[in-house]
Amino acid sequence: MIDSFRQAFELLFSFDKELWQIIGVTMRMSLLSTTISCLIGLPLGALLGTKQFKGKSLIKKTVHTLMGLPPVVAGLLVYTLFTHYGPFGSLNLLFTVEIMVIAQVILITPIVIGLSSSFIEGNSKPVIETARGLGLSRRKTAMLCLSEGRSSLLSVVLSAFGRSIAEVGAVSIVGGNIQWKTRVMTTAIMLETNKGKFSFALAMGMILLLIAFLVNALASFVVKEPAHD
Amino acid sequence: MIKLENVKKRYAERTVLDIPLLSIAQGEIVAFAGANGSGKTTLLRLLAGLIQADEGSAQLPAERLYMPQQCYAFRGDLVKNITLGGGDAAKARQLLEALELSALADKPARSLSGGELQRLALCRLLVRDCRVLLLDEPTAACDARGAELVLHAIQAYREAHDCAVLMTTHSPVLAAKGADRLIILNSGKPEADGEPREVLLHPATEWAKSFIAGWKIEC
Repeated sequence: MIDSFRQAFELLFSFDKELWQIIGVTMRMSLLSTTISCLIGLPLGALLGTKQFKGKSLIKKTVHTLMGLPPVVAGLLVYTLFTHYGPFGSLNLLFTVEIMVIAQVILITPIVIGLSSSFIEGNSKPVIETARGLGLSRRKTAMLCLSEGRSSLLSVVLSAFGRSIAEVGAVSIVGGNIQWKTRVMTTAIMLETNKGKFSFALAMGMILLLIAFLVNALASFVVKEPAHD
Repeated sequence: MIKLENVKKRYAERTVLDIPLLSIAQGEIVAFAGANGSGKTTLLRLLAGLIQADEGSAQLPAERLYMPQQCYAFRGDLVKNITLGGGDAAKARQLLEALELSALADKPARSLSGGELQRLALCRLLVRDCRVLLLDEPTAACDARGAELVLHAIQAYREAHDCAVLMTTHSPVLAAKGADRLIILNSGKPEADGEPREVLLHPATEWAKSFIAGWKIEC
């Protein structure tokens, strides 16, 4: 274990080109898929959390089911759609970072919708009631809900990012773990483990954890909560 | 100024509000009392436009402000909380002074006690101009001094703006001291309606009599 720690630091500070390229692909894929998922999922979560409409219960059940979608199933589905003979084969996206992002968006968006709608449903009622009682516009009310619930919504975004950066099944199917192209930290760890280089794989795992920690710390700093607030 | 005709509201199969006719004049302070589930909050939410009636018609001015039963403290200090929906900071500070909250003006609103928060929530409404104030149990969390300050602030606002004030209450003192008129609701219907002391001392129906007896009042 101590050896793995030492190796992790040596790896990081050796400025190994391939390692930093893998870190770059990992970050690009995770941040892009998290951003797209949040852009789609947060408004839908707000809609599901605040509006009453026919079929809402069925939609919620579907979202909750998709939150547990196995990554390999998502990967297989995307692979089938984008393979050479599939309906989107002509786009030639298979084994690119772009298709890894698509697979991740399919996996993460239900998580963003499910978590944000639960939070909004449970916490925004007094905010909405107060704001509407004051005659505030829908836009201002929505902004107040976002502002008041920013720390909880940050947790939703970080959960999505955590799922994205730690995912291996879908990205290895659609990305192919190609060196210098689609290899990310998780697929690299899997490869090194298969080669029997456990210590090296563990060191990569520690770097992955460190990245996740730094992103969490940065996000918490940006959306920091003053004392009492 | 406010007129409701044959207004009904149902939740599931239960009728929670059934008002054949209700008129409220400009400048009038009306207290609504009744047991839990008698339709007081539903009536105020309906008048605030937060819910729609299933039947009937309602005429009321557009400029109305509503304070919910569950008061909410937004992020930031008291002045920021008060001016959230409009109004200027100087007026907000005057209101804090009147409601004995000025020592806390720059403190985070989330550090307030329940009674202080209720007074803060009232300030949010009083800092603005309106024709109708709708207050859902405005003194429920206040102590005797707090309730007195709230009552005084409401009456001062009414004098200044000549607006109608509709409030729900479980307090006979608030009804007797603060309102021009008391309406007791029973299962969504007005059971008694009149000058507060008259309604309290000479209840119109047996039900109203038994309800008022539960208040153990001394008028």
